[in-house]
Amino acid sequence: MEFDLENPLSKDLQHALFAIESDHLPLMSNLDLDYDHNIRQEIISFISNFSKKLHHPFVSYLAINYFHRFLASHSIPGEKPWILKLVAVSCVSLAFKMIGGDSRLSHVQKEDELMFDFRMVERMEFVILGALQWRMRSITPFAFIKFFVSFFKLKVTSLHANDANYHHHQVLKDRATEIIFKAQIESKLLDFKPSIVAASTLLYASHELYPLQFPFFKNSILSCPYVNEDDFSKCYNVIQELVLDGYESMLSCKTPINVLDLDYSSSEDTHNKTAPSEEEEKRGLKRLKISTFSKSPFQLS
Amino acid sequence: MEDKYEKLEKVGEGTYGKVYKAKDKQTGQLVALKKTRLEMDEEGIPPTALREISLLQMLSNSIYIVQLIGVQHIHHNGKPLLYLVFEYLDTDLKKFIDSHRKGPNPSPLPSSQIQSFLFQLCKGVAHCHGHGVLHRDLKPQNLLVDKEKGIVKIADLGLGRAFTVPLKSYTHEIVTLWYRAPEVLLGSTHYSTGVDMWSVGCIFAEMARRQALFPGDSEFQQLLHIFRLLGTPTEEQWPGVSSLRDWHVYPRWEAQNLARAVPSLGPDGVDLLSKMLQYDPADRISAKAAMDHPYFDTLDKSQF
Repeated sequence: MEFDLENPLSKDLQHALFAIESDHLPLMSNLDLDYDHNIRQEIISFISNFSKKLHHPFVSYLAINYFHRFLASHSIPGEKPWILKLVAVSCVSLAFKMIGGDSRLSHVQKEDELMFDFRMVERMEFVILGALQWRMRSITPFAFIKFFVSFFKLKVTSLHANDANYHHHQVLKDRATEIIFKAQIESKLLDFKPSIVAASTLLYASHELYPLQFPFFKNSILSCPYVNEDDFSKCYNVIQELVLDGYESMLSCKTPINVLDLDYSSSEDTHNKTAPSEEEEKRGLKRLKISTFSKSPFQLS
Repeated sequence: MEDKYEKLEKVGEGTYGKVYKAKDKQTGQLVALKKTRLEMDEEGIPPTALREISLLQMLSNSIYIVQLIGVQHIHHNGKPLLYLVFEYLDTDLKKFIDSHRKGPNPSPLPSSQIQSFLFQLCKGVAHCHGHGVLHRDLKPQNLLVDKEKGIVKIADLGLGRAFTVPLKSYTHEIVTLWYRAPEVLLGSTHYSTGVDMWSVGCIFAEMARRQALFPGDSEFQQLLHIFRLLGTPTEEQWPGVSSLRDWHVYPRWEAQNLARAVPSLGPDGVDLLSKMLQYDPADRISAKAAMDHPYFDTLDKSQF
């Protein structure tokens, strides 16, 4: 059975997912995010670029998930960057095998300047598997998107209400997915449960896309018994910050806000304290962004 | 691995390879070492092994599933091998039932014990099914028993998928068909959780009878055993049965009284058993629903 991040239990077993998601958190109490932040970010961007060659969007997400969890239990000597790269390659290899990619990893790796002997990768695979206790079927926010998206029902009275909701769910999912990838790449949201990340991200996306229906969506999602309001609002705030920071760096770099194309190291430098004038500019940009999205024919506001 | 575990004795030939009883040299903990035949790939751990073992790991957090303690990766004569390290239990349900049938003072299993074992078995199966995993080869040999604590645990999980359940194990021991559901015997390829519930039913009856309910020695004989007791299935009972791949025209037997096959079970037990042995897999009771059956009303469920 190949592993599917959106459907990790192979069946619709939502209740079980909520019950087991905590088993898959990256032991955050052990994770020191400040330690070697730059190296961590460099490796994450390496994984993300390397995974791109495999043409499966979730390989990168799963590999970075393994990487975070591995670093939470192992400290790696920073003076040996090649070890980190070996860890990264092995994480990608494991993720790729879990997801069931059909091309051989060596073909991909050959294109890279950095080549590891498969024996070395194999050995590192086992080190990682041991550290993660073979818990490779990570429960990620993607497992909860389908469940939570059903809480977002547009108030539509047209004949095509079903089509409208289908389209709007798709748009919400796409935007939420984009934010979840971005959050992972920037090592944010690591200490929230995947279900809370999914719920808050969808709500944030709904705020961007359908601001007038936001209060209604918010009540709807908070009515879900699986959502803890405190965690939810904390997570929501982090997401808001993350996205707004993104606009900020977009303002300064003039790069398109496509998560996978972001230049991570340069966004570091542009991350300045926000001056009031910038704040206003940022809001203006956000409005601009929202109005672009609201061209959707299903926006009723 | 030789450093970490001391092999004590070979305790069996699992369906997929040898099983050793061993001792953790540091902690003294007894473990079962299962050599897998998962051959290492040119590119590290093979994907099937990775997916199967992580599945096993996901399931092994229930006390009704044999716990996977770890995975050992060793090079033996230059060939990489994988050993799965499981918790060790001293007996299995087959040996347990045998000890009540043969031996110096044979006696039936106490009915409260049957009830408790069956409940635990349903709980373990519900756990697997709740995670989207079928066992597909449940049988008394695969149910390990902790006699002191009175606990039953499901073993030999998961690996079935990567290899498909073989007809012969690698030691050429015939794999038993006694617990196999009729839809599997009839060549259905789209089977589901019902296959495990059929096996649970057969195991339930076997605990009550101290002998197998349907001891067939070929797929054909196996079907005849089933049909003679439960009647030859009809299209009304089981829509689509006559279009299954291996369906033939069989003698038309009438269903016998199930209670006569399991005289020691009361009416609630017989009712539950009949719900597990429904022909149409869609009508078969689920593990979860079975746990709420009146048969278990007299059981103190809080202990589980």
